[in-house]
Amino acid sequence: MSSVIWYLYEFARKSWAESFAGAATDPEIVETPDRFRDFPQVFPEYCISCGACTSACPAPAAIKLIRSEDNTEEEGKAYPVINNRGCIRCGFCAEVCPTDPKAITCGENHLIKEEFTIIPVAKSYIIDDYLCIRCKKCQKVCPVNCINEIENKMEVDQSQCIACGECLKACPVKGALKAISASTIQEQKEIINLTVNTLEQLIESKRDAITKLAPEKLFKIELPLEELLEKARGIISDEELIMETIERITDRLKMRIITWDDDKCQHCQLCVKECPTGAIKYNDEEDVVERDTQKCIRCSTCYQTCPFGVAGYYIAKFLLDKSETGEEEILITLKPAELPIRG
Amino acid sequence: MLNAVKDVIRKSSIHVCLINTGGCNGCDIEVVALLSPRYDLEQYGIYVHNNPREADVILITGAVSEQWRDKLIRIYNKAPQPKIVVALGNCPLTGDVFNQEGCSVYAPVSDFIPVDAEVSGCPPRPSEILAAILAVGPDAIAAKGRQK
Repeated sequence: MSSVIWYLYEFARKSWAESFAGAATDPEIVETPDRFRDFPQVFPEYCISCGACTSACPAPAAIKLIRSEDNTEEEGKAYPVINNRGCIRCGFCAEVCPTDPKAITCGENHLIKEEFTIIPVAKSYIIDDYLCIRCKKCQKVCPVNCINEIENKMEVDQSQCIACGECLKACPVKGALKAISASTIQEQKEIINLTVNTLEQLIESKRDAITKLAPEKLFKIELPLEELLEKARGIISDEELIMETIERITDRLKMRIITWDDDKCQHCQLCVKECPTGAIKYNDEEDVVERDTQKCIRCSTCYQTCPFGVAGYYIAKFLLDKSETGEEEILITLKPAELPIRG
Repeated sequence: MLNAVKDVIRKSSIHVCLINTGGCNGCDIEVVALLSPRYDLEQYGIYVHNNPREADVILITGAVSEQWRDKLIRIYNKAPQPKIVVALGNCPLTGDVFNQEGCSVYAPVSDFIPVDAEVSGCPPRPSEILAAILAVGPDAIAAKGRQK
């Protein structure tokens, strides 16, 4: 009986009646939490119109690239527009967006954070199937067993590789196993361009000596590495990576050199017709055949065509070596190409 | 007077029929979350019956597969007036990821039956679904009831 009276007293209170009548969900529950990934936001001013977002998008109706109208000052710009009725808020578009700052952002996305980049190791090891002799020495030394033979090819499982470098030490073939620094591809490209251009300029400056080279003789140039290294350090500070890149260039690079001896030219203009890029032209006024080195692709057609031996064709090979004084240098070896001359 | 009483009753008791016309079930799970004590859908007088014959709101999820084309219209006709249709999620709006080239998907739902409200999202948050039902449900049902 007493409990019934207590309940009646409890229910008759004003605060209870108020909360009963005005019951509603706690606003905190209805609020979106910070981690919620909402529809992507587009910032057209950063967009470079690459279309990466549209190709990454899994929903067919979610992203459209639209182009603003041309006006008198500038051309129209293409940028993505998100259709909320088709978007699944996966955030892939923001993930792949290559601009900095991003033209598309989409909430908190773990793949966008630097510490969670897709490549967790500084170097990824790959096996060049063309050079691999399948001795399986790398497979034996791998401490995490990430190298396996798949369909008669040796392959590194990138998801398991810890980049210890043991396989590279064990590999008996130079170049069959490569360590690639994937995070600095752009810098490596610049170093390659720098090195190749320096070598080309050096050879170009020695042209006169090369032209007078007797057949079946070698021509050697030594390029001290220090100056090149100094320039490369301005691109990237990693000394080891610079040396690695330069060594890879000297191992792989073969340069074709075309020389041009005007004194021998008889103005027959046979080469002008044959040149596939139009690099060789005949100058009517001065009665000379001119060769544009920028247009030349070094196909050696002119060398094979010319009956008077105006064009010379040489192959340059490179080697990273130590000079007599102990300083590092690139040894350039030029050799006349052993191509038959059309008579 | 009678209309006013009817309005109050119609507004405070909304019966929902949930139809999945061939989606991934994600939106249906969000509706289940709405029924849970955390969101507590029934405190607003909304009941999910899954019976079109007593439904006020028809909640449609899914991208309308081939078999659902005629059945959707049949279900819509079975619901008594006044009724409103809420398209839930992106599937009934555009077909979403299912609307690939060569797929037997017949989105949007509005090609088959009139749609009163749309909730975009894949899936929408439970609070968004609730807000959409509450925004159109009570008033639209009351207004449609007065037309007849």
